[in-house]
Amino acid sequence: MDNIVGSDSGPIETTRQRPAKVQFSGQAGEFFGIWIVNLLLSIVTLGIYSAWAKVRTTQYFYGHTRIEQQPFRYLATPMQILKGRIIAVIIFALFTVASMLSPVLAVLLAMLFMFASPWLIVQSLKFNMRMTSYRNVRFAFHGDYVGALKYFVLLPVLSVFTLYLAMPWVLKKIDHFICTNISFGGVKMQVNTDTSSYYIAALVAAAAVFGVMTVAAIIGVVLIGIMAATGAGSAGAAIFLGSAGFFIMYFFAFTLSAAIYHCMIRNHLFERTELPEVARFKSKMEVMPYLLLTVTNLMAIVLTLGLAYPWAKVRKTAYLASVTELLIYPKADTLVDEQQADSGAFGEEAAGLFDVDVSLA
Amino acid sequence: MFAVKAVSGQFQQAGSSALYAATASLTDEGKLLIQCVNTAAVLAEVARPDYRFGTVLPGLPVEVQLRSGAIFRPDDASWRWPQQTAGSGMAAALESNRLSILAAVLLSPLLLWWIIVDLMPMLASASVLLVPDHIKQKMGEETFYTLQKTALQPTQLPATQQATVNYHWQMALQKLPLQQKNYQLYMYQSEFFGANAFALPNGTVVITDELVNLLQHNPDAIVAVLLHEIGHVEGQHSVRLVAQSLGATLVIGILFGNPDGVADLLLGSGSVLLQNAFSRDMEREADQFALKQLKTLGKSPTAFADAMSALLSSKETSPESEPALLKYLSTHPATRERIEQARQHQ
Repeated sequence: MDNIVGSDSGPIETTRQRPAKVQFSGQAGEFFGIWIVNLLLSIVTLGIYSAWAKVRTTQYFYGHTRIEQQPFRYLATPMQILKGRIIAVIIFALFTVASMLSPVLAVLLAMLFMFASPWLIVQSLKFNMRMTSYRNVRFAFHGDYVGALKYFVLLPVLSVFTLYLAMPWVLKKIDHFICTNISFGGVKMQVNTDTSSYYIAALVAAAAVFGVMTVAAIIGVVLIGIMAATGAGSAGAAIFLGSAGFFIMYFFAFTLSAAIYHCMIRNHLFERTELPEVARFKSKMEVMPYLLLTVTNLMAIVLTLGLAYPWAKVRKTAYLASVTELLIYPKADTLVDEQQADSGAFGEEAAGLFDVDVSLA
Repeated sequence: MFAVKAVSGQFQQAGSSALYAATASLTDEGKLLIQCVNTAAVLAEVARPDYRFGTVLPGLPVEVQLRSGAIFRPDDASWRWPQQTAGSGMAAALESNRLSILAAVLLSPLLLWWIIVDLMPMLASASVLLVPDHIKQKMGEETFYTLQKTALQPTQLPATQQATVNYHWQMALQKLPLQQKNYQLYMYQSEFFGANAFALPNGTVVITDELVNLLQHNPDAIVAVLLHEIGHVEGQHSVRLVAQSLGATLVIGILFGNPDGVADLLLGSGSVLLQNAFSRDMEREADQFALKQLKTLGKSPTAFADAMSALLSSKETSPESEPALLKYLSTHPATRERIEQARQHQ
């Protein structure tokens, strides 16, 4: 075993578990060049180059995300992405045209889409997991259509009849379905999440929305009072201020509750997820820093008319990496994925007709 | 076999997480030799068709991928293999070059603007020719059927009033050189639409009781409204609007992918604003059509202004209540602007 490189220069400890952090080394300036040049090339080639752009962007972010100096790798080829996009464009155009032709057909197609979407979700997860590799070992997704139909369509639809009271439980089931079906090097993830944690997160998020609305209503009433008392401002100005205020409040409430839910659930999910004998995870997200990041990112994007997008994306990725920690077990250093070792090949030779991610994005 | 240059890095077998500190060297004939640093054992020795170079990206090392599935990654992120093809680093070079970045910053928004404002409406107009008449017929029939079932109730207008509207409608149809021949006028009572009129691509024109009552003392204003609706049909606006929205959605989806959360919200509102802009353009086009045909009929274009004024006052909105920014949220041009246009029409 003496030829194995450890995380540090010192002697390698292969018998005990060790903590590790996720490092992200991508830089806003560097990614800005990649993004804007790829955008121009995509426009000039009428969208065809966007498949190459997608692969390059993902490879950039994966390559700069490292655990113990080892980067993630994105293995999809531009041709696979291009095929998936062409299929997606055709399906989307057919749907649009058909729904334009007749409202009845539109309803039928929406039903059809509802039953086809679990297949698309599973297909996409399978593709994206198989195309992700760490230390030359691939991830995989094992979920099937029936499971996806149950968790992504049936349970959410049924939860409507509980007035969405069952929704947090459904969200827990969805996360559970996705995570327990992910494997790394043949080792399946184990997840042991609590229903109560999902309910608490949903309640706190809902309370935040309620709080924001109450504060906004009080401010609104006070403002109207002042305007009426002083006679300042016309009816038109009042309507404009009102709609602008409502939009900002709506956005803020949405962002705040999303930040709260995201933080609480990610922390809980990571805490309760493990790759047995390979790794355990930890997420230390905090609501305020994350909320500040989200709001400033959005403001930067708006004020620069979109040019700050690369900076915002790098910033967010760096933050999420910085709050993620792992506990790595010795088996991680000697994992062998038999299936992958046997299949060998550059990848595309083995790819079948449907080895694509049918997605516009 | 003479190793030209050895580069240090890290080697991994296919599907195995074990890491080996290794050196890689390439001979002139293109043979790749990978040796373990600690034991000097040969880890891999492959000829040219059995390995290839990975993507060149700014700030990241260029790995070598073996057909077996093994990989070698140089430690030095700036290391470039002499045997890489000339084109392989081109994208990365463009992405790090100040001039090409500047060019992209300037050209991308301009081209995007041109595509959405000029190219897309042009393609949409062209695509109209691809839609056969019987499809438009069917589109109209299906939509009409659905509306009858949901939003329209039988007219409550007295027979004489219906006859008056029909008379003016027939007179206008006879005198105008219209492309589509099978125009049909229907009157319906509708709480859903209120005082309104609309046209379907097969030439079905519907005017509500509420609007007929609103304009009952001004038949020319009714004609003006109906001409506006005919303008939508003649301009094939329903098909064009669908084609333009489809195009815009595809362009935005493909170019910007699915950015997370907030950016998504922005792009979403962006495409709504865009669709409303398309819609406003078509309303203006239909307005212009109505004004022109009013003159052909020997009527004053102010009849259209009268119709708009009546609608404006019926909604009881004060003239001030259309603040500058809200106009971008509307599917129709500001009513006052439309009235001005009609009054100024020569």
